[in-house]
Amino acid sequence: MKAVMGCLILCIWLVGIPLLTGAIPAFFTKRHRNPAFMWVSGYMISWALFQLETVPLVLTHISRSFAALVKIFGISSLAVAAAGAFLLIRSRKSASRLSLVRGDTKESRTNRIYWGIFFALAALQLVLAVAMNYQDGDDAYYVAVSTLTESSNTMYEKMPYSMGVTGLDLRHGLAPFPVWIAFLARISGLPTVSVAHVAVPLALIPTTYLIFYQIGGQLFVKKKEKLPLFLSFTALLTIFGNYSIYTAENFMLARSRQGKAALGSIVIPMAFLLYMLILEQTQLQDESASQGSPGKGKYKRTSWMLWLLLWVTVLAACLCTTMGTMLICLLLGTAGLCSAFVYRKPGLAVKTALCCTPALVYAVLYFLV
Amino acid sequence: MWDMIRTLFQEYMGTGLIVGWYLLSLLYLWFTEKDRRIRVLFLYMPLLLLLLYFNPIFARLICIATGDEIYYRILWLLPMTVVIAYVTVSIYGRIKGGKKYCFALISAVLVTVSGSCVYASPHFHRAENLYHMPQAVVDICDAIQVEGREVMAVFPKEMLSFVRQYTPLVCMPYGREMLVERWNADNPLYDAMEAEVLDMDVILPLAKTYSSHFVIVPEDKEIVGDPEEYGFTLKDHIDGYIIYQDTNVYIGL
Repeated sequence: MKAVMGCLILCIWLVGIPLLTGAIPAFFTKRHRNPAFMWVSGYMISWALFQLETVPLVLTHISRSFAALVKIFGISSLAVAAAGAFLLIRSRKSASRLSLVRGDTKESRTNRIYWGIFFALAALQLVLAVAMNYQDGDDAYYVAVSTLTESSNTMYEKMPYSMGVTGLDLRHGLAPFPVWIAFLARISGLPTVSVAHVAVPLALIPTTYLIFYQIGGQLFVKKKEKLPLFLSFTALLTIFGNYSIYTAENFMLARSRQGKAALGSIVIPMAFLLYMLILEQTQLQDESASQGSPGKGKYKRTSWMLWLLLWVTVLAACLCTTMGTMLICLLLGTAGLCSAFVYRKPGLAVKTALCCTPALVYAVLYFLV
Repeated sequence: MWDMIRTLFQEYMGTGLIVGWYLLSLLYLWFTEKDRRIRVLFLYMPLLLLLLYFNPIFARLICIATGDEIYYRILWLLPMTVVIAYVTVSIYGRIKGGKKYCFALISAVLVTVSGSCVYASPHFHRAENLYHMPQAVVDICDAIQVEGREVMAVFPKEMLSFVRQYTPLVCMPYGREMLVERWNADNPLYDAMEAEVLDMDVILPLAKTYSSHFVIVPEDKEIVGDPEEYGFTLKDHIDGYIIYQDTNVYIGL
């Protein structure tokens, strides 16, 4: 009974809360008001919130810091989700748009087969995430940190490998992804090791595909019928992505519970998606301005929400791994430069640079502490 | 620096076939893609990133900041999966009639042949339980842990990575640091535990210096010396391992 309750609570925190949280940006970006966008945006906001609340507690080194974090993050997450639920109810008039697969519902037989192939490949990955175990040495650090955090109510103060206390481990404490797993374990009452190895992959693998789904939606704007084949190939390339042990695909399926896997398979693709949407808005604004139509304000509001979401995604990258600060800046730096050059809009580079500020702050902290 | 960059790239590529498909996909995008967004994000940006990756000055700066072991992660910024899938589906869309199904099938076969299945990795095993831990670790930890306090136990090499993931109540004199060669960790107790013959006259006095409550050794190893001389008694046999307990160390709350 306790296990069933724990699973239900996990479902609420890994599905319900992100969906409701993501309703906030979805409300301001009408074109993207669908559960897939809400889910992935919700994860980014939730992780960013977690990062903002956890790192100060790690740095201040207060006693029972994890217990305090559980209360603070629990309450703030519920408050944000409640705000999302409120906005969702307000926008219920357009509830018919809340469908995972938008567009032509009269799928051809071939497309239904491609959807079937994709769902079979995705389901296979989920089944194997439960039925198989990848033994990775780094788990001895990351999962042990989650276990120790949950049991001791402290963060980064105990030695994960062997025994005893250690000086505050700030290098890892600036990217407290394992603490997020400890939070899930505490809130659900399930063993931390099971949450890390089983529950987290079951939530994060679909998150990656929901991002791919939306990227596909952008790539095939006028050819939605190609989406299932695109997704089938992404699933196939992921399963056969073990051409070396270093690939993001390998990390995604083998080490889903580690922050670096979340960075490579969720946060980085999410940054790509958001940048695609931002550039789409830029083009729409340009077209609207050249035609002299009055809808420019609408595009601006969507555009600002997407920039804000990109800023939030940078924070989420900082949660995953300390390397995330550098990688996300590099990604956005090159994206900002290329887009500013191609679109002849220096403002794109400036706004992108502003989005990188959280990562720069954490990078400075990394070298200072 | 150049050798490091090249070596990391080669190691990342594996056979190089998937990366080859990716580079061909970039070439396809270069000549056919009209959408500015896609050109920026999936063509110009990856090319700029590759230029940076192969730039020794840039590599030196990054390695100074983050270390050279994880320099390869810059390659995660290349959206290989998305680009290969996109180009494949774009070509599929240009083929008329039944040939496009053949193309899709051949492409899928090429992906499976060029890549390598993640689940075929020797590190993947059938999960023994919902903890995803070896059952022996679970059983032994359950047998020795005392709710509300920590106990100290000496484990053999194959269990070191798992014990602290499963339970925070079991401490060890040494842990995963012994398994990573480049960290050059040294511990005489670990050396004695991993010797071909387990000499209790060496292991148990060393275990006592860590106030170890338990010493766990594999049943299939030859053991010399009498544990009782050092106050250790046989507690249990579990899943092919022998658990010795130091009766002189208080284990209550």
